Amino acid sequence: MIYRETGTFITSYLEDRKLFPIPFDKWAMAVFMLFMIFVVPFIASDYWLAAHLIPILAYGTAALGLNLLTGMTGQLSLGTAGFMCFGAFFTFNIMLRSPEWMNLPLAMVLAGSVTGVIGIIFGLPSIRIKGFYLLVSTLAAQYFALWFFRSYPYFLNYATATVTLPDHHFDLFGIGETFDVDMASFEAKYLMSLGIVTALALFAKNLMRSATGRNFMAVRDMDIAASVIGIPVIRTKMLAFFVSCFYCGVGGALFCYAYLQVLGIRTFEMNRSFEILFMAIIGGLGSIAGSFYGTVLVYEFPILFSWAGDYLFKGAFDTAVVDNVAKITYGILIIALLIREPGGLAALWATAKQKLRTWPFPH
Amino acid sequence: MAAGNPILQIDNITLVFGGVTALNGISFDVAEGEICAVIGPNGAGKSSMLNVINGVYVPQEGRVVFKGQDCTRMRPRQIAQLGMARTFQNIGLFQGMTVLENILTGRCMKIRSTWLEQGLNIGRARREEVENRRAVEEVIEFLHLQGIRKTPVGKLPYGLQKRVELARALVAEPTMLLQDEPMTGMNLEEKKDMSCFALEINREYGTTIVLIEHDMSVVMDISDHVVVLDYGAKIGDGTPDEVKNNQDVIDAYLGVTH
Repeated sequence: MIYRETGTFITSYLEDRKLFPIPFDKWAMAVFMLFMIFVVPFIASDYWLAAHLIPILAYGTAALGLNLLTGMTGQLSLGTAGFMCFGAFFTFNIMLRSPEWMNLPLAMVLAGSVTGVIGIIFGLPSIRIKGFYLLVSTLAAQYFALWFFRSYPYFLNYATATVTLPDHHFDLFGIGETFDVDMASFEAKYLMSLGIVTALALFAKNLMRSATGRNFMAVRDMDIAASVIGIPVIRTKMLAFFVSCFYCGVGGALFCYAYLQVLGIRTFEMNRSFEILFMAIIGGLGSIAGSFYGTVLVYEFPILFSWAGDYLFKGAFDTAVVDNVAKITYGILIIALLIREPGGLAALWATAKQKLRTWPFPH
Repeated sequence: MAAGNPILQIDNITLVFGGVTALNGISFDVAEGEICAVIGPNGAGKSSMLNVINGVYVPQEGRVVFKGQDCTRMRPRQIAQLGMARTFQNIGLFQGMTVLENILTGRCMKIRSTWLEQGLNIGRARREEVENRRAVEEVIEFLHLQGIRKTPVGKLPYGLQKRVELARALVAEPTMLLQDEPMTGMNLEEKKDMSCFALEINREYGTTIVLIEHDMSVVMDISDHVVVLDYGAKIGDGTPDEVKNNQDVIDAYLGVTH
């Protein structure tokens, strides 16, 4: 056996709190990250970067944001695409109207923070309403975002429908100009997205294993008990809205800047919110890694299925029929997964690990 | 433990839900360092009394004074900050979290680091995690929970869940502990354990305990002071012996022929 969970002896509380308590996990993660950073940009074609990896990173950020709010804190939200919309538009405007020294990651952080504040405003009803009723309030955020940017064309720099995002926005600290590197290439965009997503995921993980994360989960599981033991319930909910919407905002900015390369209102319609909600649910509510598993599944499976359908039944049936059958199969699979394992892919993974642990003698 | 000055004063509390008077002009004092039992038949208003004490319910009339401060209209969190902790009748644990995480939430009032520090996992946030863990481990040892640290609480049997809940309350280092039926649904041995814990908490840490309990043998054994409620009114108040011989109390419990 190469992979062992035993044999690691914890001798301090700090050690018990490590991100990767098992050395093998740590090395595996390091190898994975090094592969993603140093190998993938060189071997992946522009198609793979532009149509698979970058959108997964952008979607993943938004799914993680939603998961922090819905999975961790138990506040349902259908305003994800609305908050992404705010993030994307504010990033564009900060880049457009700031002096030379402004750069994209910083603009995303600023835009994300503003989105977070907007999130708090739309989260205010959560003080008094819970569960499905809160959906209505967050739905308002979704419609408000679209209405707002439609009504004030200033934020789209008076363009008619979409703005093509200029390449010079991607230059970081003049690196591109000085070294003559194309900072708007897919490789550069991929690396920037990967850096931002890694930092955000790490931040979320740290937050969740500390007091704030425990407060989030306490509010989710039983808010009366939480207030009785001294957790500031309202402040915790507002913080959850802020952090979640920050992530959604950055996700929206990545979605436009790194993936679509155009900014437009129609990108952030209602169905986008649902799509991200599915990613969070299928990946596993309350799991950070699950947000990304779910994103990969929801994003890649339809592509995979229609490709497989095409390959298997080419010529035998109409393409549209094959495509729809692929979609139906995919839907059935998702339903089967959620019936079998309501905790999503993250829980499925945990169960599989537990089964392997006791294999071949489960009793 | 010898009883001292009143730490908690309940003064003429009346609590009404719609047309139902749950508590009707109740007054009693709890002395510092004592174990005070609140007893009474079902529906007597015991749990409501506890909810009024720690701010979950706001009474229509009367005052609750804790440590010399009027806390009638305070929120549960403010009262917790004054040093009051409590356990629930139907277990108020956070079901999605492990035992360790649950008990750690009890330390939430000791956290000084901001969420940004925690997210970046730097300096103060890291130190606090270790400090709080140390405090939690002390309580885990005290209540013999070592074997189930990393178990999700939902998977634990009822008796252990009650104990975890007690641990979560205790780790906040309260001056007063409210326990709502800590021994209901337990077998004899578990009851014995819980009684011993209550006595030990009381003696070791000097924590004042107010508990609601139906098991009379436990109540009479461990409490210094018994308050009896019936239909929202107080019908007895005194030492276990006094209460045992009080005619109103006997009537309420055994019934009376009309």
